[in-house]
Amino acid sequence: MTKSMRKLVASAAGLGTAAFLAGCAKDAPQDTWQPKGSNAQKIDDLQKPVFAIAGVIGLIVIAVVTYVIFRYRDRGQPIPEQTHGKPALEIGMTILPALILTGVGVFTFRTVFDLAKTSDTEMIINVTGQQWWWEYDYPVQEEFGITEPIISSGQLVMPVGTKVLLRETSRDVIHSYWIPALNGKRDAVPGRVHTLRLDADKPGIYAGQCTEFCGLSHANMRMEAVALSKEDFAAWVQNQLKPAATPADGTLAKEGEAVFLNQCVRCHQVNGLLKADGTPAIAAPDENVYSGAAPNLTHLMSRNTFAGATWDLLKKECRDNVWKATPEEFGKKYLAGVSEDCLNQIDLRRWLRNAPEMKPMYADPTKLEPTNGLYRGMPNLGLTEDDIDKLVAYLVTLK
Amino acid sequence: MFTPGSKYFLGLAGFSTAFMIAYIVVVDQWDGGATALAAIACAAGLLAGLSLFNRDGEVKVGDTSAAANAAPLGASLWPLIATVGVVLLAVGLITHEIVFLLGLVAIAASFIEWVVQSWSESASSDTAFNNEARGRLLHPLEFPVLAAVGLGIIIVSFSRIMLAVSRDVGAITFIVVSSAVLFVGSVFALKPNMKKTLVAGICTIGAVGIIAGGIAGASNGKRDELVEAKEEGHYSHKECGPEKNKYFDKNAEKTVSMRSNPIATIELVDGKLQARELGVEGYTQTITVPRANSSTVIFRNKSNEEHRLVLYMGTEQVQEGVTEDILTCTQMIGPDSEQALTFKLNKSSYGQEKPFAFTVPGLEGQSIEAYVP
Repeated sequence: MTKSMRKLVASAAGLGTAAFLAGCAKDAPQDTWQPKGSNAQKIDDLQKPVFAIAGVIGLIVIAVVTYVIFRYRDRGQPIPEQTHGKPALEIGMTILPALILTGVGVFTFRTVFDLAKTSDTEMIINVTGQQWWWEYDYPVQEEFGITEPIISSGQLVMPVGTKVLLRETSRDVIHSYWIPALNGKRDAVPGRVHTLRLDADKPGIYAGQCTEFCGLSHANMRMEAVALSKEDFAAWVQNQLKPAATPADGTLAKEGEAVFLNQCVRCHQVNGLLKADGTPAIAAPDENVYSGAAPNLTHLMSRNTFAGATWDLLKKECRDNVWKATPEEFGKKYLAGVSEDCLNQIDLRRWLRNAPEMKPMYADPTKLEPTNGLYRGMPNLGLTEDDIDKLVAYLVTLK
Repeated sequence: MFTPGSKYFLGLAGFSTAFMIAYIVVVDQWDGGATALAAIACAAGLLAGLSLFNRDGEVKVGDTSAAANAAPLGASLWPLIATVGVVLLAVGLITHEIVFLLGLVAIAASFIEWVVQSWSESASSDTAFNNEARGRLLHPLEFPVLAAVGLGIIIVSFSRIMLAVSRDVGAITFIVVSSAVLFVGSVFALKPNMKKTLVAGICTIGAVGIIAGGIAGASNGKRDELVEAKEEGHYSHKECGPEKNKYFDKNAEKTVSMRSNPIATIELVDGKLQARELGVEGYTQTITVPRANSSTVIFRNKSNEEHRLVLYMGTEQVQEGVTEDILTCTQMIGPDSEQALTFKLNKSSYGQEKPFAFTVPGLEGQSIEAYVP
């Protein structure tokens, strides 16, 4: 074996070992082999035997090919007599794979149909994708205490042990919703409504990300599903139904509210926010953003992430405290929201200072001709440090 | 030194370059026009080089026998056609762009044909050889173009006939013409020795008949139904009051695109309006509509009368201090019929004075709220 050949073999072996060991990672929130709900379990129940069968066949094929290569390699011997046709072998080698594929197909189709079922739905959540975040809205569902539609983003909150049906669509391009621990992928397509079943066995946070290339910040379009016990979910619903609290006069947060009214309300809605004349402040994202929507921030601090679930609103230690909580403690810790002490001010301030620097969003005003001057994400608002101080003080009140 | 052909192409290249410079100076930018002129200049320059290289494809100088035996050059119609093309260009500039395009085509065709004809007639002293040389060069271009033009004329003529006659006569015409084509085609196939002139004659008679019918149909105009339907604009039915449209396509709502994935189905049953959302069992009086996103609902009329579904989408200011409701609606649809309604609500329901809602005119107290989060 030549030196370069040895290097090649060593590199391939190293890569293979690394890939193999990566499969043993415990802290892998998007691991498809760790189902946390009945739908993901169905996929797991299918994929394990299929992978096992495919693996065994693959090994047999590799072993036979390797044997043939070495056993019959060219050593200068004469070319053996050539034969053509072996009907018994050919028929057998056709029937056997066909039988294996038929067996796999039967179970695959059964799983596909099971995962497409909607008749046992207990709860509906509408999911709308746009560049580059997900919006969740909850239609009125009195049995869950949702007496008025709720709107949120970034984190999908759902009750544990409940068959949730996501109705997905998109406002701009094709996206794909995927929480590996809870189910497979489903495309969100403009003009169409696709359904995806989700349910979670235990309280916790389950991570995912957009899996259909959707433009510049596709990699920054993440999502998290938060499963709460039914009691905790009811508490979350009650909080979401409330309008935003108004900061007390004379506080920094009150000044931040004024900055919000001047700058942010053009796109971001905060329910309950009033203009100086006492009328409701209504956001008009359709006039400013290409997708026609921007996240509703009424209860921003009740979620743990911002900017398409890509950055944490919680400092690392606080976030770890929530993520690593036991199922019994999880709801209480999640519902505590983001306190001033736990707020990840560094990333939030960076975002307010120059959002496109953190997340590419075609924010150059001179290059917006294809969208008629509309932004595809949050532009750099040119806020002063003073404005940012005030805004942070205001945003932290939105719980 | 310079052959006549190369002089011609060099002149064309020079003129194109001059025109290109003038064009850029006048228009003050490099655009499609300048690119086209530059392309002509380059192509003409290349052809000039080729002409110089092969001495215009002339027989060798000094081949006196060839010169002596050469047939006189024939008359050519192409300059005349090119002149007609120039006239069409000028007329097209002040009338219609189609005329202008026809002029361009005539000039381009004349240019190519004339150049090749001139070249081929001087290629040798043998007229048959010259004709064959011309054919080898131009037939691969002429035959497909003439076939496409001929087919295009036949298709346009036939379409004029179909648009002019009534639906019933149209169906009969189609059956008769297609049967005749099938029959004549079968006869041609079964009689391979049929005289070419007979085949050509039959095809010519058929083509002339269709073209004549097309001219007659075009002069007569489209049938009244089509003219009136176009005038009433049945694809943008903005009137949400009594139905004024007579010719709208009642099957349009059955297209796959319209019926794919409606967010809800709204039914009118026993004088009651009720909605069923995708994926939800049972009925509701409020449906959630994604903001700023095209959504479709299906309206199903299960009553005994004609009804339409109307969606209130807010208000717009038409003048200072005057606002009007923004409405969209289905057409009037009969009992046990359904129609899709696609709409886009850009504003949130939050803060709206009056909720977005679906109603059916004439049905008091019944509505389905469209909540936009």
